Amino acid sequence: MEAKKIKLSSQEHKPLQINPIKHSQPMGAALAFMGIKNCLPLMHGSQGCASYTKVLYTRHYNEPIPLYNTSVSDITAVFDGGDFSILMAIENITKKNTTLKPELIGLHTTGLTETKGDDVRSVGIHVEIPYCYVNTPDFEGGMESGWALTCKALILQHTFTCKDIKPKKLVLLPNVNIQPIEIEKLKECCTNLGFETFALPDLSTSLDGYLSEGQGKLATGGIAIEEIANLGDAQIVVSIGRSMKSAAEALLQKNEAIEHLHFNHLMGLEANDNFVASLMKMAQVTPYPLLKRWRGRLQDAMLDAHFLIGSSSFVVTGEPDMCVGICELLQSVGGTVYAVIATVYSPVLEEIKAENIFVGDLEDAKSYFQNADLVISNFHAERILHMQEKHTALVLRGFPNYEELGNQLKNDQLYEGSTYFLFEVANKLRELKYHG
Amino acid sequence: MVSRAKIKELMNESACSHNKDKKKGEGCDMPKPGMAAGGCAFDGAQISLFPYADAVHLVHGPQTCLGASWETRETLSSYAGRNHTVMGFTTGITTNDVIFGGDKRLDASLAYIVEHYAPEAIFVYSTCVTAMVGDDIDMTCKLAQKAHNIPIVPVHAPGFVGGKNLGSRLAGEAVLEHLIGTKEPEFTTPYDINLIGDYNVTGDMWQYLPLFEKIGIRVLSSMSGDGRVGDIRTAHRAKLNVIVCAKSLVTLCRKMQERYDIPWISVSFYGKRDTTFAIMEIVNALGDATLIAKAKEILAEEESFLEEKLLPYKEMFAGKKAVLNTGGNKAWSIASGLQDLGIEVVATSIRKSTEDDIQKAREYLGENGILMRAPASEQAKVIDEKGAHILLAGGRSLYTAIKKKISFIDVNQEKKVSYGGYNGLLNLAEDLKYAFNNPVFANVCAPAPWEV
Ligand code: SF4
Repeated sequence: MEAKKIKLSSQEHKPLQINPIKHSQPMGAALAFMGIKNCLPLMHGSQGCASYTKVLYTRHYNEPIPLYNTSVSDITAVFDGGDFSILMAIENITKKNTTLKPELIGLHTTGLTETKGDDVRSVGIHVEIPYCYVNTPDFEGGMESGWALTCKALILQHTFTCKDIKPKKLVLLPNVNIQPIEIEKLKECCTNLGFETFALPDLSTSLDGYLSEGQGKLATGGIAIEEIANLGDAQIVVSIGRSMKSAAEALLQKNEAIEHLHFNHLMGLEANDNFVASLMKMAQVTPYPLLKRWRGRLQDAMLDAHFLIGSSSFVVTGEPDMCVGICELLQSVGGTVYAVIATVYSPVLEEIKAENIFVGDLEDAKSYFQNADLVISNFHAERILHMQEKHTALVLRGFPNYEELGNQLKNDQLYEGSTYFLFEVANKLRELKYHG
Repeated sequence: MVSRAKIKELMNESACSHNKDKKKGEGCDMPKPGMAAGGCAFDGAQISLFPYADAVHLVHGPQTCLGASWETRETLSSYAGRNHTVMGFTTGITTNDVIFGGDKRLDASLAYIVEHYAPEAIFVYSTCVTAMVGDDIDMTCKLAQKAHNIPIVPVHAPGFVGGKNLGSRLAGEAVLEHLIGTKEPEFTTPYDINLIGDYNVTGDMWQYLPLFEKIGIRVLSSMSGDGRVGDIRTAHRAKLNVIVCAKSLVTLCRKMQERYDIPWISVSFYGKRDTTFAIMEIVNALGDATLIAKAKEILAEEESFLEEKLLPYKEMFAGKKAVLNTGGNKAWSIASGLQDLGIEVVATSIRKSTEDDIQKAREYLGENGILMRAPASEQAKVIDEKGAHILLAGGRSLYTAIKKKISFIDVNQEKKVSYGGYNGLLNLAEDLKYAFNNPVFANVCAPAPWEV
């Protein structure tokens, strides 16, 4: 079947989505708040949005998800400008469970409360716990922007302005696609290069698949609100992913002296060489032994995998910041990216070199799947590929993955993660090509 | 738009046992801010209608409503055509639609669906934003129905009107108003029933339908497990409505009784006793002596067949005690299944249960059974006191089980196999066998080297 040519544009190419891959802004915001220590993520809307969000993350991570909602009803929707449901919700939640000691209320809106036009900012005056609000209507943007907006709001509303710089203090701003273990690895790498490192948001201790009691009540993220307040004296801010650029710029507003390093992604040799070189230069250090070792392993993996990947064509679907890294890594070992189908428009998509690249859904993707050797997509692609006559291999990445276990420990970043990723892809191709 | 009067009427449904201790006119409460958990009305409506595989289900709203909900339910279908239940359709409205209205987009979407997918019908779900903006979904659907010549059914259950239960009732309203009675069946029999409220999750219905067939009970239509829109349109010709574990659809049945004089009964197909009881209820209600005799004969046969297969399990499970912590009708239906396998159910949860469910739980567990009102804090103590061997609960309770070093089954997790009917009991028995034999629950909590 000939695949329909669709142009890359921020305008939709059809009136509806069929088998969507896009996820909503409130979902991204909720996840970002889960990366803050003792945060109470509070979705301002009707109960259903929070329930769906919970289901998505519970099944993706196999973890209890701390997420509350303001339970807006059609009655409160009419008389309440937001104050009543937000304040009552906070009171009801903390009264019901007096052991709950939230250090931050992470309030984000939904389509409903944005349509109503609630003033979520001024409600904050009446909240005694530190309060952060984000406007995340689900008729705009997507999961990636919801996460990024939240990160930006945390900085704008909570970080003190500052004139001094604390040498070797580094702030990492990872995009929504970076999984808990990857954040841990990134932090570890920066720490090993001599930096005092903070990640915002920091999921490395949240949703990371860790057995302990009483989970799911408050977020257990790795960065506390006082730490966010004091990010203004960092020497460097590192944004990873195009969606995070504006959050980094928000931090620069707090202190012009901060150095901003931006990377579209951290997959593959070139991106990581740039990343490591920049940090080495800033810290005036030499690389630690394991970093060198992993670079060598990645080089070896590239050579080992080049034959299988170099003779194959790929379709990648997902959030723009994820797609760009995967494409560049595959292309660096000769892979042909036949099509990229992104959830939403992002300028970074213009930088991807692929035969076809556009914003769409799995209905659009289907005809491209038939011409690919391997698809990288979320779990929804699985059924579509099963129904297809031609065998096409599948590597699951992106939200949601309801079927596989251990999603939080999938590691694709840095020299190390890129190595694992190449092997995973090559092994899938091997099964397909040599065993049908 | 949704009318307040309609919502109020449904909230006050006299057949709903949530309402027993409430004053007249009070009905189910509006949610308290921060306290409403679980799915919204739209979710409930979708659950009730989604299994119609020959129809397309179009969600008219922004991204959240459909984004995370499609392809999440194991509602199986035998439909030979393109199965739309494993697909997701949404208008995915944007800012522009919020400002100028989304009717045009909806209309264009309907045309697209008809052209590319040619479904038997389209259900159009309104959601919070499109209801708030005031899109005239009724009009758009009506015009599109005329233009495309297939039923296009607006479902008005935006999330903010309430929870899943209400949504399911509103779905019933939509079906009653737009589909039931719009087509005549090719033929009828005196043994025609409608199955209401079984969604065929993991093929639950297929566990008992073969028995129906052997006995001669015919399912004229289903709302909505493995259902077809064409069949539900003929539902008014059935002799009996059979509700399966779904109180929310009582309203629909009551109205069908008023309108078409169809009586209804409520049954469950969990475990051996319930299955037998359910089928006897159905044939008794149909009231035909030969049918009743046939049913008795076949059930006796099937039961002894099952008993034989259960023997090794019963031996294995002798003396085992279970604590059950799950909501709604599962609190007694799973208990019934466990008891059929010879396991003693020492406690079950009645948190958020209706009066009916509490009564049933008491009936099944007997006098000594513990009905837990606050299972989260009670269950650990109950396990100790009663010496329970297994905890069946939601994932959050896993920690209790491993701390007590007893077996655990997550009853809320999406199952892949059915526990329904006679054969489902064998699936449950298999799962229990593996849970009892698995050493993981004892192993995983070994003290860390730095703790000893
Ligand atoms: S609460 Fe409203 S906006 Fe949220 S999922 Fe339900 S219908 Fe959609």
